[in-house]
Amino acid sequence: MKIKMKPITRRQFFKTVAGSVVSFAALLASAPRAFAEKFFHEPPWLTKSPYWGMAIAVDNCIGCGKCVEACKTENDVPRQPYFFRTWVERYMIHRSGETKVESPNGGMDGFPPIKKSGDMMRSFFVPKMCNHCENSPCEQVCPVGASFRTQDGVVLIDRKYCIGCRYCIQACPYGCRYFHPKLHVADKCTLCYHRITRGLKPACVEACPNGARIFGDLSNPESPVSKFIENNTVQVLKPAMGTRPKLVYRGLDREVR
Amino acid sequence: MKDIQHILRMAGVFVVVISGFLLVRHLLVPASFGLYGHYRAAAIDDIKALPISFVGQKECAKCHGPRVQEKNKGGHRNLGCETCHGALAAHAAAPAKSRPVRVAEKDMRAFCERCHAASFSRPAKFPQINPDAHNPGAACNSCHNPHSPRL
Repeated sequence: MKIKMKPITRRQFFKTVAGSVVSFAALLASAPRAFAEKFFHEPPWLTKSPYWGMAIAVDNCIGCGKCVEACKTENDVPRQPYFFRTWVERYMIHRSGETKVESPNGGMDGFPPIKKSGDMMRSFFVPKMCNHCENSPCEQVCPVGASFRTQDGVVLIDRKYCIGCRYCIQACPYGCRYFHPKLHVADKCTLCYHRITRGLKPACVEACPNGARIFGDLSNPESPVSKFIENNTVQVLKPAMGTRPKLVYRGLDREVR
Repeated sequence: MKDIQHILRMAGVFVVVISGFLLVRHLLVPASFGLYGHYRAAAIDDIKALPISFVGQKECAKCHGPRVQEKNKGGHRNLGCETCHGALAAHAAAPAKSRPVRVAEKDMRAFCERCHAASFSRPAKFPQINPDAHNPGAACNSCHNPHSPRL
């Protein structure tokens, strides 16, 4: 069968284009706020309160691993290695361009002291955890709506609804999720949602001895995390992924991914 | 008249299928699903209800006020009590039943060195000692008060 295209006149073409432009403009005028939020990514913490955020000062981390231990205790994370809601990495950067990264048992037992040797230029610790992205890939790939972002900006998992397909685990560009061996669901940092909604700090922040972890309400300009972002040069991990993390770092090296 | 029979029969099938779908959907989808977004809103309450293990230093100060004050004046002022003494929510609830971690004298060097052993990886401004040269074998608290460690 031969399909015949109906020839379109110039007048009809202009009519269609003008119609689309007018209807687009009408939509924009009828809901400007929704449009702005959709197209220009208005930060939700300007309108929603509280809106939780977190910051990490890499230059304050001493690699004691107290945060990892506290997290496992608070959240019943399996004690074996490879199950972490937060972990600490040690970077060793050499003049030759070689970079070594290690995280023995997620840094939970601390790191053996090292001396500057050979052509090692720098070494530092980087705590890692869920970035609670505004545009989180894990939330988008969940087939059953078990991964979600709350009204106050925390990415959570519904343990009753998770079917354990592990799609979110491989979707997270930061490797922040793991499969819980006993519950058979995906698990990750909740920003200690059960603590912060009771007015407490997350367990890792509570346990950090050197102020490397800062937690607070982004909607309140006086909160510790807002002050930290105001007074420091901060960066996020993998900005090119477009995930818009709410976890920001100070003193991040270019080698950190 | 005969023609309308076909339409009515078809309409009947549609009504049965659609109402069946709505019934199954109603039975399978939890009540709170979709309240705030594409998720079960009741899950938030499940997570909120989880028990806490770390209680925070305000709670410690209720009974151990002088100790907390002593700590807050010294070099360890930025540490929470639970950084060294472990999670204390159980102790705060039943002080006699659950005891806080007290570092034994034989474990003390390893315990303190976890933060204070000199390492190239640590920030240079952080106080560090060389464990081999800094009074080897001596318990740290024979000179330093852990709650106010500066000499």
